[in-house]
Amino acid sequence: MNTYYAANLLIFAGVDIIACLALNLQFGVSGIVNFSFIVFQAAGAYTAAILSMPPDTAPDYTFQIYFGGYQLPFPIPWIGGAVAGGLLALPIGLVVLRRLRADYQAIALLVTSIIANTVINNARPWLNGAAGVALVPQPLQEQLNADTHTYQYLYIGLTAICVAIVWFIAARIVNSPYGRSLRAMRENEVAATALGKNPTALKMTIFIVGGAIAGLSGAILVGFLTVWAPSTWLYPETIILFAAVIVGGRGNNVGAILGALLVPVGFEEVTRLLGGLNIGPPQLIPALEWVCIGLFILGFLWFRPRGVAPEPRHVFPGAPIREDTRWVEGTPAS
Amino acid sequence: MSLLVAAFGFGLVSMSVIALAAVGFTMQFGITNMINLAYGEVMITSAYLAYYVNQAGVSIWIAMLGGAAFGAVFSFLINRFVYAPFQRKGTALLGMVIVSLAVSLMISNAMLPIVGYFSAAYRERFSRLLHFGSLALTVNQIAIIVLAIGVMLAVHALLRYTRLGKAMRATAANPTLARNCGIPTQRVIDVVWLITGALCGLAGVVAALDSDSFTIANGAGFLITALAAAVLGGAGQPYGAMIGAVVIGLITELSAAVWAPDYKQVVAFGILVAVMLLRPQGLLAKRGALAAAG
Repeated sequence: MNTYYAANLLIFAGVDIIACLALNLQFGVSGIVNFSFIVFQAAGAYTAAILSMPPDTAPDYTFQIYFGGYQLPFPIPWIGGAVAGGLLALPIGLVVLRRLRADYQAIALLVTSIIANTVINNARPWLNGAAGVALVPQPLQEQLNADTHTYQYLYIGLTAICVAIVWFIAARIVNSPYGRSLRAMRENEVAATALGKNPTALKMTIFIVGGAIAGLSGAILVGFLTVWAPSTWLYPETIILFAAVIVGGRGNNVGAILGALLVPVGFEEVTRLLGGLNIGPPQLIPALEWVCIGLFILGFLWFRPRGVAPEPRHVFPGAPIREDTRWVEGTPAS
Repeated sequence: MSLLVAAFGFGLVSMSVIALAAVGFTMQFGITNMINLAYGEVMITSAYLAYYVNQAGVSIWIAMLGGAAFGAVFSFLINRFVYAPFQRKGTALLGMVIVSLAVSLMISNAMLPIVGYFSAAYRERFSRLLHFGSLALTVNQIAIIVLAIGVMLAVHALLRYTRLGKAMRATAANPTLARNCGIPTQRVIDVVWLITGALCGLAGVVAALDSDSFTIANGAGFLITALAAAVLGGAGQPYGAMIGAVVIGLITELSAAVWAPDYKQVVAFGILVAVMLLRPQGLLAKRGALAAAG
């Protein structure tokens, strides 16, 4: 295991942790089944790319077509990615989250994800279509040589700082009165409404916050990969993150991190180990992995719906202790 | 003008294919309360089964029946061994959506090593072209239209004039009350999965035949058009799905003629967004997609 490989793994782990924390805020804490999560990550990645790249008329870049190309210095593309993710959540949320029933919201978001990918794939002039954008400058590339070990450590450090910031935000949200309202809405929307909570406003804010965090994760990813194409954000990528949050423990930030390390990072590792063995046709192992992700979701929903690290019960002093306080959405009341 | 007439002809074929798919999808949802996101994958799997039967020398019109039978059995088994146990366990609607998406992912990826990434095509994909004025349709396309009309009439007859149809409508309206009136709702639901599964398999073969060549990745596209037609008509409403199929079939083909064929699904999606904004309950349903409260 060389330094480059270790750096790779750590950065992917960081990006997956950030993404899972955001998805946990939306799905685990608020109960929004955001099947278009990966679209927000993609929006952040594309935005970071066009903010940091030179215009497509620059030498070395003429083989691709994209709009913009602003060559802005380091922190701006990452911030821009987060802003783009948050802004994109606004129109999607306004269409989907206001009047629709919860299961319709889920399918509307799934369809959004598939269609967004189709549009970007077919419309070449915007973001270079199916080929995607390449040669995205890495952060601080002008000042430092991106091929050195030091740069790898720097990138790990930057990712770690972002993980810490996102963790802080997620923890604050979960433990705040706002987080309590979100959980109340998740458990019983009608009752929360009756107590004066506005479910649409609650959903919209968490949708935007989650979208912004997803956009940041995309910006970090594109800065490291230096390429971004529609094939990297197909809708099944969202399902991996769902598997991670379900396996880790929805509603619990620690669970989300655990899930990110177990599912996306763990599977990446297993592929690498099995890839060297040359079993069967080339597509066999990746295909079986997806089948395993599906089995993980079904298995955990069936045997352990609360995940490896279940959400802690929030019992307040003075609250009447009832038998069914152990009940959590998704598990049968025993 | 002749371009629009030709597009209208394609529209007739498209709406036939979409209607076959959407009616089965919407009946599954209306009667068993299950948004089956694996529907598109069952369609494409049935299309592949018919493809192998077709390759063995059987005419596609007979292989189609094999596809329908496979779709029926496959859907029944998915419900029996995955959906029904989760529903009995008390999994919420949202949980069921995740379960069906996981099933969809598993089917398409389990199929991938078997069928490969390459596109397949039926042997009878080319047929004679017939002209009706400036409207030109192949024999296959006419057969698809006739088949779809026949199936729609059969569904209508089933729902209106048979005891089973009455039991299905009762189960859709209020399962508990239906059970208390002596309707064996569990058996009705089993039969519904068989019938809608057959529709799903048939629709898969017809859609594959209509699109000349197909790959495993087409499943998601099949699902989107069926979903759009079902939601437009009002989810759970078979007649609504038929109307939705007519509207979406026509509009997507006309847009392909005047704009770009790559964006057919995008146009279907645009219709879906418009419906969700303007009339979330769909054309026919009273409540449908609207939230219970809030």
